[in-house]
Amino acid sequence: MKASLGRRVATYALAALIVISTTLPLAWMLISGFKGRSEVLRTPFQFFPDVWLWQNYAAILQDPAFLQSMALTFAGALLFTLLSLVVNSIAAYAFARLDFRGKRFWWVYCITPMFIPGMAILLTSYVVVSNLGMLNTLAVLIIPGAASAVQMFFIRQFYLNTPLAIEEAALIDGAGRWRIFWSIFLPQSQGVFVVVGVGSFLAYWNAYVWPILTIQDPGLQQIMQYIAGFRSERGNEWGLLMAGSTLAALPTILLVLIFQRYIVNGVRLAGMK
Amino acid sequence: MTMSPQSTNRLATAASVALEPEGTAPASKRRRRVAGRLSTHVMDNRTAYVMIAPMVVLLGMFVWWPLLYSFYLSTFEISFYEEPVFVGLQFYGYVLEDPDFWHSIGIGATYVLYTVPAIMIIAFLVASFIRTVGRKVAGLLKTTVYVPTVVSAVITSVVFVFMYRADGGLINWLIGFVGLGPFAFLSDPELALPAISVPGIWLAFGITTLIMLAGMYDIPQSYYEAAQLEGANFFQRTWFITIPLMKNVLLYLVVTATIAGMQQFELPLIMTQGGPTNSTMTPNLFIFNQFKDPTPYATSFSLTAALILFFVLGGISMLIFRLIRSDKAIDA
Repeated sequence: MKASLGRRVATYALAALIVISTTLPLAWMLISGFKGRSEVLRTPFQFFPDVWLWQNYAAILQDPAFLQSMALTFAGALLFTLLSLVVNSIAAYAFARLDFRGKRFWWVYCITPMFIPGMAILLTSYVVVSNLGMLNTLAVLIIPGAASAVQMFFIRQFYLNTPLAIEEAALIDGAGRWRIFWSIFLPQSQGVFVVVGVGSFLAYWNAYVWPILTIQDPGLQQIMQYIAGFRSERGNEWGLLMAGSTLAALPTILLVLIFQRYIVNGVRLAGMK
Repeated sequence: MTMSPQSTNRLATAASVALEPEGTAPASKRRRRVAGRLSTHVMDNRTAYVMIAPMVVLLGMFVWWPLLYSFYLSTFEISFYEEPVFVGLQFYGYVLEDPDFWHSIGIGATYVLYTVPAIMIIAFLVASFIRTVGRKVAGLLKTTVYVPTVVSAVITSVVFVFMYRADGGLINWLIGFVGLGPFAFLSDPELALPAISVPGIWLAFGITTLIMLAGMYDIPQSYYEAAQLEGANFFQRTWFITIPLMKNVLLYLVVTATIAGMQQFELPLIMTQGGPTNSTMTPNLFIFNQFKDPTPYATSFSLTAALILFFVLGGISMLIFRLIRSDKAIDA
């Protein structure tokens, strides 16, 4: 069917409208980062600055506390993602492919946390980690959330749909379960690992409430703590704050752009036959 | 961290729970039965226990134990001077009699009312539109609408606070074109909650769009072609084909958005601290603020409030999940 010119123009106009209104807050954040002190809250209002200044971005990049929290959060997020992938994928494989005594019980045990809201266990989790002496360590950010019912469920769903024949052949050849997991299942898991791995990375990077409870040491401050702290302490330096927010949001946005094919298709992954 | 992976990774849950196309159920079941047959004569107890052990231990330490501990604190009166005394459901009574608790429930429900219908309608329209455009434009739109999903609540809050400013704020400039404003959105008790709902919608509509779109792609194109031959317009096709065939996906999205909305508290925490005059004091923010009071009574009170919410919301979501996936949900 050939679309008429008018129809095509309308389609592009609508698409442009969706793109612009969706990205407006982010564009505004980016642009405001380029505005000097006198322009950022200027009346009468002006969308673009008269003079594009790099100073805010340069200044925030020279703030050691900002750099340190970016680097620490990045390292923490990588470790967290790695640990989650290991813990959740081996459990997912066991639940998808092995048969063992008490499987049903352990399945309910591992999957029910999906329905437990964080707030119901926030305070008591804090008590647990403080009794374990984990406060003000990176471990408190990495270990407690690594096991995730949602992610285990998602990976298991994928392993359930993996054809049986190769696994059977390997078993007959005498390969152990670990070997099969390592050499048959892991190489196929790229797509599903990207989707859940990006999920873990984002969860860690964007976390705010758990870090403000468990990290008081300024040397271990996470990036969202830094941004929120900046807003309450130096709330009037909007240009600087917008520049910092832009840089703090950048890794997550880049991640989406890099893995967009996997992620957008990830929504269909579980339905794949 | 205990909170974030469960809530942030909606993509994964949504995809796996809602999107298995209904038609594939028999096939996957058959495959599963074959898997079962293979493994019945090869019980791998030891390997399996080793494989699930890290997950079991971590969930035990950081989810199940804290949960049991929460229950304990909600049914025992703790004091610095005496042994804990079992008080049964006394704290539950206190919470349910507390007007501030009910006020926060009302705020949460209003927030849900502001956000969920808007998210559903915007996502449905955008998804319907993406379905009709060419591959390139569709790809661009899918990536674009997904971007807000990955921006943190902290950054979103900070940017929207900046945009809502009465002097020099972007939003007051925009509504100025239609002769409105300027408003001091976040310090007006009437406007603060609607103002907080906008970033709430912005954060959630993209992933909702993608999930709906995945549901729409599962509907055979031939249905629409047949309808078009019969002369059905967009609204008729939507009403008689799309919506009925996506019933489960839509229901799932409404339920998860409602539960997420009732639990929203990072946006008001950073944007308004629950004010002005408690007009944005959502249930979880109310509970979170109580945590700061270190007396045993306040601790037990706020934990009990959190547990009540947990029973109600968790109960609802489990029920709905059972309904949607009936035979597929828990059959390991």
